[in-house]
Amino acid sequence: MMNLSRNIERVPFRSIEKQLVASYCNSSPQTQTKQEEFRALNIRNVKDPFQTRRRLQKTAVFPPRADQMPVDQDWGSVWPGPRSFHPATVPLPVRQGFTEKGAPPPNKFNNAELMKIPNFLHLTPPVIKRQCEALKKFCTPWPKALDNEDKIQKNFPIEVISSDYCYSSPTIRDPMARIITVKFKLASLKLDDRARDKFLRLVGPRYNEENDTVTIVTDRCPLKKQNYDYAMYLVTALFHESKKVEPWEEMKSEADMEIYCWENNASKKNIEALFGCKSEEIPNAAEYSEAVSHYMNEGENDYTISKYGEAVKKLLKLQGTN
Amino acid sequence: MNTLRLLVPRIISRRASTLSHNNNATSQIEAPVVSDKLIKTLELEVRGNEPAVIKSFCKFAVTAGNHFGLETKSWSLKKPVHERYTVLKSVHIYKKHRVQYETRTYYAFLQYHKLTGSTADTLLEYVERNLPEGVALKATKVEVQEMPEHLH
Repeated sequence: MMNLSRNIERVPFRSIEKQLVASYCNSSPQTQTKQEEFRALNIRNVKDPFQTRRRLQKTAVFPPRADQMPVDQDWGSVWPGPRSFHPATVPLPVRQGFTEKGAPPPNKFNNAELMKIPNFLHLTPPVIKRQCEALKKFCTPWPKALDNEDKIQKNFPIEVISSDYCYSSPTIRDPMARIITVKFKLASLKLDDRARDKFLRLVGPRYNEENDTVTIVTDRCPLKKQNYDYAMYLVTALFHESKKVEPWEEMKSEADMEIYCWENNASKKNIEALFGCKSEEIPNAAEYSEAVSHYMNEGENDYTISKYGEAVKKLLKLQGTN
Repeated sequence: MNTLRLLVPRIISRRASTLSHNNNATSQIEAPVVSDKLIKTLELEVRGNEPAVIKSFCKFAVTAGNHFGLETKSWSLKKPVHERYTVLKSVHIYKKHRVQYETRTYYAFLQYHKLTGSTADTLLEYVERNLPEGVALKATKVEVQEMPEHLH
């Protein structure tokens, strides 16, 4: 009973509520028409969905700077350092790139080919000259007395060769830069025959007979300075070692000699005995000694034998009887 | 020998010379005299993948050398060195079908004759700073020295 009465009470109230809402909506007719035209579903609860987009303001494009450049400008201050190509700054009608047959290559604007390759626009001849003039104060002239190769060779006999490397690598320290080569002529050490022979035996294949040069390459130390010091130490050690005479070296007899030396041999004694005077006083003895040493050193062949025969004939004055 | 040694340019180290200048009244400190090095030849080996860039660089380096008053020459190899390697076109099999990649290295050489150590340092610094991208440089110095005293 109670429930029913409540329902009866509620029904008229609802109808009144509806009427009120309707009358409120009717009070503003403009909004109503708008909603009727297009009702947007406002999911995110944005207050004003009809925002006007801001228009992008385009800056005015100026004509390329190259068009206004005077002819006599200082190019070095326009393009002072290395930089990739810029068409508006370079007042040159450059063209680069591949096109179909018959068409000219593309011009400098919007041309990637020109930007790829490193340019030398910052190193024009007047700029190089100006920079070199500025750098000259750090330079010293080459001594005038050392004008030719012989003088350099005579006064500065040691050559030290080393390399530096400059390329795009993760480190600036190239391991090849440590290698030092020391070169010098063997004659500049002023060794006597015995010491020279010992030096050559110690040096081995580092001596070049053709130009009388000793080359010592050192690369065992990690630094250039250390390798240089080591190379100079080696030269010093070789020099002093070759000058040293060991007790067993004194025992070298005629049989141990590597070349035949006429002065020390029986041949000299024999002709001295034959002529009864010193070998220097005998006519044609020099030629004879040379022929004998050639014969002994070079071995027996037609040439040495005939030379030897002629020398003997001359020495013994048998020329006429032949 | 001695006259020649006098002719060789000398660099007096700046720090030592100022020291001696300040203490001139009290004590005589002799500034160590460091002789400049003598470099008979300075050879640059330039290598890169673009012949035009190398050519321009050589032109620049020769011009710089001439402005420094040096005897300069440059030459280049006529043919580049081709380094090729051949690999399978496919990942795994098909031995008959291959691709070949190659890099071409162009060489150029420059020589400066008869420089002193300070000139060589200045010139090398200038030239190396203006080395373009993608170009490698190897600088070989041939220095001449006197025979040390203990080897006479």
